[in-house]
Amino acid sequence: MSSLVAHRKAINRRPVGVRVSFQLVQPATPEEAVRLLAGASAGQMSVLGGGTDLLIDIDQARASPRQVLSLRKMPWRYLRWEGSSLVVGSTLPLRTLELDRRVQQQLPGLWEAIRDVGSPALRARATLGGNVGRCSPASDLLPMLIALDARVRILGPSGVREHPVDLVLQESRKTNLGPAELIESLIFPSAAPSTYMWQRVQPVNDISQVGVATAYLPDAPHWRIALGGLQPRARRLSEAEAVLRSARPTHLEQELAAQEAARRAEFVSDKRATESYRRRLVAVMVRRALQTTIDRMPRPAAARKPSR
Amino acid sequence: MTDAALALHINGQSRRFASVPDAERLLDTLRWRAGLKGTKEGCRTGDCGACTVLVGGEPTLSCLLLSREVGDEPVTTIEGVAAVPIGQAVIKAFAEAGAVQCGYCTPGFVVALAAQLGRSKSPPDVESLVDGLEGNLCRCTGYRAIERAVALARKAVQ
Ligand SMILES: Cc1cc2nc3c(=O)[nH]c(=O)nc-3n(C[C@H](O)[C@H](O)[C@H](O)COP(=O)(O)OP(=O)(O)OC[C@H]3O[C@@H](n4cnc5c(N)ncnc54)[C@H](O)[C@@H]3O)c2cc1C
Ligand code: FES
Ligand code: FES
Repeated sequence: MSSLVAHRKAINRRPVGVRVSFQLVQPATPEEAVRLLAGASAGQMSVLGGGTDLLIDIDQARASPRQVLSLRKMPWRYLRWEGSSLVVGSTLPLRTLELDRRVQQQLPGLWEAIRDVGSPALRARATLGGNVGRCSPASDLLPMLIALDARVRILGPSGVREHPVDLVLQESRKTNLGPAELIESLIFPSAAPSTYMWQRVQPVNDISQVGVATAYLPDAPHWRIALGGLQPRARRLSEAEAVLRSARPTHLEQELAAQEAARRAEFVSDKRATESYRRRLVAVMVRRALQTTIDRMPRPAAARKPSR
Repeated sequence: MTDAALALHINGQSRRFASVPDAERLLDTLRWRAGLKGTKEGCRTGDCGACTVLVGGEPTLSCLLLSREVGDEPVTTIEGVAAVPIGQAVIKAFAEAGAVQCGYCTPGFVVALAAQLGRSKSPPDVESLVDGLEGNLCRCTGYRAIERAVALARKAVQ
């Protein structure tokens, strides 16, 4: 009993934002989850994936839902390969993806981006679904998801729809998901040589000033360059991609693409970096990420006879 | 809203707590209801690792986990880790290396390191073990002594 009294005292000493209360609902099936969301009044029910963004938003009074809907019982903690495409359930902890050897080999850029999210103990809970749902302009995963042409499978009252991630993202804390819709899974259409690079003040648990994702996809346009750390959210830079005309662009082409990326990106100055610093970073990082991606391509079979 | 009871498996025991609010974090349930004060609260925002416990064997931040989201996964705190040989070896290594100054961060480090050492028969190299502790902050030691403790602990369990 005395420890409970101490508990109350400790809680009462905390900043006001931390004294929160809500009702947790833990539906057993996706259908039930969608039904509960559809029945809730606007802004009253938040969706909980791993909670690493939402719980902090609640503590800091940026969100004050009366009810929190947990996705814990959803059958979405899976990872499977369908040919060379990877399907990841939205509630799979990032840590599981990170420990998968095939992910590391076939989607090296995705693996790198995942390893940059917080710490291992954070990744034990944080999910892909939550990263997309939060839509942070500083996210380390979104540039890579965009560069890899990831598709988002969305479940709602009228069934399932699927869109490229680029069309789902809007701005910080805003996606085009309807109030009763949930992200069920993410689909990475193909294995791809890819690279993710970031720049931060501290290496761990800090927010990236800039993130650069590059990938070489089997489908045209092959080269993809996406940036994070810009407003209102991560985006592809097709102008920079267009400079790259072959699987192994020359140094000059890489340099031109990097400069184009630095010129086109909508950076802003904030407490993490100035706009001009971000541009200079990006010019260097895009060049390095392209070269790393090229180095990750399977070696051309030197002995093979030309086909014609 | 009345707070319902909650059952958890903690350090090999079934524990039942009366009236736990839905918004309560595992960190608070462990410290204030289970009386397991070894798990520390540093930042409450996922940044420091002082609150690290094992959930289903994986190092997890108990400050960012609702107690009701744990379900039937076993929870192991520093008290549980300290009761098994690997945990004891890690604690001894920290003491011998002088890796404990104020000690506030130590439980988190020990839990995270013991989990890595317990995962496979042959422990990973020191560098990757240290990498695995990247989410644990220490304001006192400057990390050198902790790196020495990692090497010592690795040797001890080999
Ligand atoms: C210390 C710390 C360090 C961090 N470092 C990084 C970093 O380096 N890089 C980075 O990118 N992020 C970082 N983050 C942010 C966060 O961990 C990630 O965004 C994470 O992927 C969020 O996943 P989650 O499951 O925890 O999300 P939650 O908090 O559960 O959810 C986030 C949002 O998405 C919604 N949502 C969750 N799941 C779904 C779903 N299946 N369908 C629809 N909506 C859903 C929620 O309603 C909420 O609005 C960090 C966070 C912390 C606390
Ligand atoms: S108290 Fe949980 S990470 Fe700091
Ligand atoms: S020993 Fe004091 S914080 Fe690590």
